[in-house]
Amino acid sequence: MKLDPRTKLLLTLVANGMIFTAPLAYSILMVLATSILLIFEGKWRFVCAFFFVYLGAGVFFDAVKSLDIGTSGTIIVASLFLIYRIMPGCVVLYYVMTTTKVNEFMAGMSRMHVPNKVTIPLIVMIRFFPTLFDEARDIGHAMQMRGIRLFSLRTLTNPFSILEYRLVPLLVSLTKIADELSIAVVTRGLSPETRRTCIATIGFRVQDVIVFVYCLAVVALLCGITPFSVILEDGP
Amino acid sequence: MSNIRTTGKKSSNTLVRDLVNVGIFAALYVVLAGIAASVGFIPAFIIVSTFMVSLVTSVPLFLFFSKVERPLLCCTLLCGFFGVLMVFTGHGISISAIGIVLGIVSGLCLKVFHKSFMGCFLANVTISFLPSSMMIPLWSSTEEYLAYCSSVCDAAYIAHLNELSSSYWPLIGLFVFGALGAVIGGFIARRMMKKHFERIGLVR
Repeated sequence: MKLDPRTKLLLTLVANGMIFTAPLAYSILMVLATSILLIFEGKWRFVCAFFFVYLGAGVFFDAVKSLDIGTSGTIIVASLFLIYRIMPGCVVLYYVMTTTKVNEFMAGMSRMHVPNKVTIPLIVMIRFFPTLFDEARDIGHAMQMRGIRLFSLRTLTNPFSILEYRLVPLLVSLTKIADELSIAVVTRGLSPETRRTCIATIGFRVQDVIVFVYCLAVVALLCGITPFSVILEDGP
Repeated sequence: MSNIRTTGKKSSNTLVRDLVNVGIFAALYVVLAGIAASVGFIPAFIIVSTFMVSLVTSVPLFLFFSKVERPLLCCTLLCGFFGVLMVFTGHGISISAIGIVLGIVSGLCLKVFHKSFMGCFLANVTISFLPSSMMIPLWSSTEEYLAYCSSVCDAAYIAHLNELSSSYWPLIGLFVFGALGAVIGGFIARRMMKKHFERIGLVR
């Protein structure tokens, strides 16, 4: 089921708002909607795994939160919090990132009259997180082969060395990637000053309207605007 | 001196390169700041976490400052993206406005001092106030912030936060430690730039 990038943006905004600021029931409403969309994309295994971990963390979260066991308790609660409250946000982002092509996203942003000076870095940033983690992991493996670990004797005697051994190769690697990426971008004719044409067709369809109305309904529910309250206010 | 005449207008190719650099360094800044700020999960280190964030992000920021050709635009975008991302994670709308203002100020520092060490140093110190600003709601709207934190942290941590919010000194401490981290990080970054990046020709 193909959704318009603008609908996905609204879904992300509403879902994140609900997950971080509203009571748990609203975040579950948004997670359920995203899970249904993921099942339509054929990712039912991911949805099953997510709900297994999410419900497991939910069972333990309140129990551990009420225990007063000092710093270790804070760290355990923080880890469970990552699963319990941030993971739903990650699921929405996973859906948006795996189903949206860069081309479609740029077309959507262009339709919303967002300048290319904002769109280009935004796309690079969003698409760059996985590359960043891959590079950091590879550098970590290379350093481990040389015996440089986070808690080795060498790094414990000189804590700044870990900054040098891990950060400098990462920065050199990222700078080279940035140069290659900007050359590729220029070669493909992407410029902030010219209007870009797009081969992908985007637009609002029935599924977009359903998701749009659902998001607005959840927001209205949070604000206390329900059909019943409107009828009651208008009534005699 | 070369005899090449230019129109004085910067090429759009360098603008694209700048924008790509903004995207990449913004991603790196967010990840490094997140890792360094996780020190703050230990209640005793809440104030010191801004020091760690500024210290760790100084080297990438110095490299970023030396690579971009439009400092005002690039710094504003970098800080603006960080602010907007923090809004997505539930840190109030004010952080995005603070991010844009700090981005403009740091860009002006770079523009005035022409990417010299002093310019980079001042811009780095300015950006170091950004992670510190994330805790401002603890003092400006204490009730709401503690209510938000109570859903995500344990009782001992909330009690510590409540204790911190009773006085303004911890807020000043957050900013002072952030700036101190940026100052020390600035000197480390200058050494690393000379030792690594200038030697291999990544920056001039």
